[in-house]
Amino acid sequence: MEFLEWFMPTVWFVILALFLLLYVILDGFDLGVGILSLTSSSESQRTILMTSLGNVWDANETWLVLMGGALFGAFPLAYGTILKALYGPIYLMILGLILRAVAFEFRENATNKRPWNLMFGIGSVLAAGSQGICLGTVLSGIPTDAAGHFTGSVWIWVNPSSLVVALTLIQGYVLIGSTYLILKTSGELQRLHVRTARLAAATTLGGALLITFTAPFASETLRQRLFDPAFLPFFVVLPLLGVALIVQLFRSLAMQQEVWPFVYTVLLFILSFAGLGLMVFPAVIPPSVTIFQASSSVSSMVFMLTFIGVLIPIMLFYNIYNYIAFRGKVSAE
Amino acid sequence: MLATFDVVTLSRLQFALTAIFHMLWPVLSTGLAIYLVVLEAIWLRTRNPLYYRQARFWAKLYVLNFGIGVASGLPMEFQFGTNWAPLSEFAGDFFGSVLGFEGAMAFMLEAGFLGIMLFGWQKVPPVIHFLSTVMVAFGANLSVFWILSANSWLQTPSGGTFSEGHFHVQNYFAAINNPFMVRSVIHMALATVETSMLVVAAISAWSLMRQKAPEFFLFSFKLALVILLAVAPLQILAGHESAVQVAEHQPTKLAAIEALWDDQSAGSSPAWTVLASPDEASGSNRWSLSVPGAFSWILETRPQLSQPLRGLNSWPADQRPHMVGLLFYAFRVMVAIGLAAAALMALSLLLWWRGGLSAASFAQWPWFSWAWILSAPAGYLAIESGWVVRCVGRQPWTVYGQLRTADAASVLPVGEVLTSLSVFAVLYTVLLVFALYFGSRIIAKGPNLTLEPPPGLAAPVILSDPSASA
Repeated sequence: MEFLEWFMPTVWFVILALFLLLYVILDGFDLGVGILSLTSSSESQRTILMTSLGNVWDANETWLVLMGGALFGAFPLAYGTILKALYGPIYLMILGLILRAVAFEFRENATNKRPWNLMFGIGSVLAAGSQGICLGTVLSGIPTDAAGHFTGSVWIWVNPSSLVVALTLIQGYVLIGSTYLILKTSGELQRLHVRTARLAAATTLGGALLITFTAPFASETLRQRLFDPAFLPFFVVLPLLGVALIVQLFRSLAMQQEVWPFVYTVLLFILSFAGLGLMVFPAVIPPSVTIFQASSSVSSMVFMLTFIGVLIPIMLFYNIYNYIAFRGKVSAE
Repeated sequence: MLATFDVVTLSRLQFALTAIFHMLWPVLSTGLAIYLVVLEAIWLRTRNPLYYRQARFWAKLYVLNFGIGVASGLPMEFQFGTNWAPLSEFAGDFFGSVLGFEGAMAFMLEAGFLGIMLFGWQKVPPVIHFLSTVMVAFGANLSVFWILSANSWLQTPSGGTFSEGHFHVQNYFAAINNPFMVRSVIHMALATVETSMLVVAAISAWSLMRQKAPEFFLFSFKLALVILLAVAPLQILAGHESAVQVAEHQPTKLAAIEALWDDQSAGSSPAWTVLASPDEASGSNRWSLSVPGAFSWILETRPQLSQPLRGLNSWPADQRPHMVGLLFYAFRVMVAIGLAAAALMALSLLLWWRGGLSAASFAQWPWFSWAWILSAPAGYLAIESGWVVRCVGRQPWTVYGQLRTADAASVLPVGEVLTSLSVFAVLYTVLLVFALYFGSRIIAKGPNLTLEPPPGLAAPVILSDPSASA
C-alpha cells in the first residue's frame, strides 16, 4: 500500500501532464490559427485557415475537458482550490472558447461573415490569454490554508508576471499556429506564415527568457528548486537543448522547409512543458500542496487508471487516424 | 433584486441557467446521430443518391447544433470546481472519476470521429465513413450513460460510505449502477431520440406544407415517424417506471410533484390531483381539480395504495423541496407533452395506413402540419421540465440525504458570481437567437437535390436512377 500511495498520484500527475501537453500543442495551434485569422487579407484566405481546423478543432478542445475530468477525479482538492482561485480567468477562457466555437459554426452559414470572423479571432485571443494567466498564477503560487483551501484574493491573477506569461503563451500559440499553416498551405499563404512564424518565434523567445530570469526572484519555492542539486542537471540540460532547438527552428524557417518548423516548435513546447513540470513537481497546487495531499483515494485512482489507462492508446490511435485521413494541403472547397 | 441574493442562490441560478441552455444541444447530438446512422446504412445498401442527400442535409443541422453543445458543455464541467468546490471535495473520488470517463470514453470518441463524418466523404472508404458515423452516435449515447449515471448517483448515492465530510467508495460498480441509473439512462436516451425525431418531423412538415422538396421530406417524415412509433410508447413506460422509483427512493420529490400535503395510509385510495394551486404557507392547495380514487391506479395500477405515502406537511421544512407549484406543473407539462405527441403519432399512423398520408396532405391540412411543427419545441420543453423535476425536486440536497446544496457551494464574493451569471444570461440569449436564425436559414434553403455522391461510389444502380442525371 505504501508503494501505491506514492505511485498512483505520481502516475496521475504524469497522465494529467500528458493531457495538458496534448491540449497545449493541439488546441495551441488551433487557437494560434484563430488568432492569425485576424490578419487574413481576404475571405478566401480565411476560409483556408478555417478549413484547416474544421475536422480537428473540437477533438483538440476535448483534451481540455479530459484534463478537467482527470484532475477532478484524481485530485479533487486541487480541482476545487485551483478553479476557485482562478474564477475570473477560467470564465474568461470559457467565454473565449464559446465565442470561437460558435463563430466557427455561424460563419459557415452566414452571408455577412465579418462579425463572425472578428468573434472567432477575439475568442481565440481571449482563450489563449486566459490560459496564460491561469498558468502564470499557478506557477507563482496559490495561497492555501493547512487543509489546502484557497485563502487568497479574488484578484490574485491580476499581476505583471501573469500578464507576461499570458502574452508569451499567445505568442507561442501564434508560433505553433504559423508552423501548422506552413505545413497545411502553399504559395502566398505559406510565405506569409513563414514571416509570422519568424516574428512569433522571436517574441516567444523574448517572453520565455523574461519569465525564466524573473521567476526565481518572484517565488522562493522556485528559487530553491532551481538551485536544488538534485534537479540541477535537468536545469542545465533543458536550456541547452532549448537553444539548439531554437537555432534549428530559425534555420528550417530560413530554408523554407515545410514539416520541420512544426516539429521543432512541438519539441520546444514539450521542452518548456517538461521544465515547468520539473519546477512544480510534486506540488499540484504550488507552492505547498503536493499530489500526495490532494489526491483522491488510492482505490479511486486505480479504478480510474484501469479505464482511462486502456483508453489513452485508443484515443491517440483514432485521433492520429483523423490527422492521417486529412493529411496534405488544405484547399478551399 | 439580484444583489440581495446570497452566493448559494446565485451559484444555483448560474448552474440552472447554464444547464438549461446546455441541455438544448446534446438532444440532437445524441438522437439525430442515430437518424444519420440509419440514413447512411440505407444509402450504403441501396446506393440511391436520395439517401446520400438525406444524410448530408441533416448533417448540416447536426454540425451547427454540435458546436454550440461542445462550447456550452465547458461551463458545466468547470462549475464543479469554480462554484461547487465543497461538492468536488466531498464526492470527487466517484463523481470526478465518472466525469473523467465521460470525457475519455464518450466525448473524445464523438469528437474524434466527427471530422471524418462531416468532411471525410471523399477522404476515407465508405465503410470507414459509416463506422465514423456509428462512433459519433455511440460516443454521444455513452455520454448520456455517464452523465445520467453521475446525476443518478446524486439522487440515490450508493456504493460506499459517508464520513468526515467525504464519500468513500467501496464498490465502484455499485456506485455507477446506483438505483436510479438504469431507468434514468433509458428515459433520457429515449427522450433525445424522441425529441430529435420530432425535430426532423417538424422540419419535414414545415417544408411539405410549403411543398418544398416534397419527395425528399416525405421520406424524412416517414422515417422519423417509424422511429417515433417505436420510441414513444417505450418512453411512456420508462417515464412511469421512473416515477415509481421516485416514490420509493425520494418520497419528498413525489409528494411535491403531486402536491400531496397530507399523509396517505396504506390501503387508502386518494384522489389524483390534475390541476391545483399549491400554497406552501398553509400547506394545502388553494383549489384543485382532482379525480377521486385515481392516484393508486396511476402509481401502482391497483385500487388501493400498498404502501403509506408521506405528505409534504409531515417533513420538516428543511428536509423537503420548496417551489411546489413549479415541480407540480413541470411534471404535468412533461407528461402532457409525451401523451399528446403519442396521440399525434397514432393519428398520423392511422392516416398513413388508410393511404391518406402524402406530400399533399400537409398542404391540405395546415392544422396537421402545425401540430407537427409545434411538437418540436414541445419536445424540448418536455425534456427541460423533466430536468427541473429531477433536480429542483431533489432539493434541499445536492447529494440526496447526505450533502445539502447550501454546504456544497463555494464561498465566493457575490459580485464575482453575479458577473459570470449576467454574462452567461446575455451571451446565451444572443446565441440562442442566432442559432435559431441560422438553423432556419438551413431549413429555408432546403436540401441540395442535385448533390452527387463521391465519385467511385457510383454503383450501377445510380446510373439507371433518373434522379441522378437531373
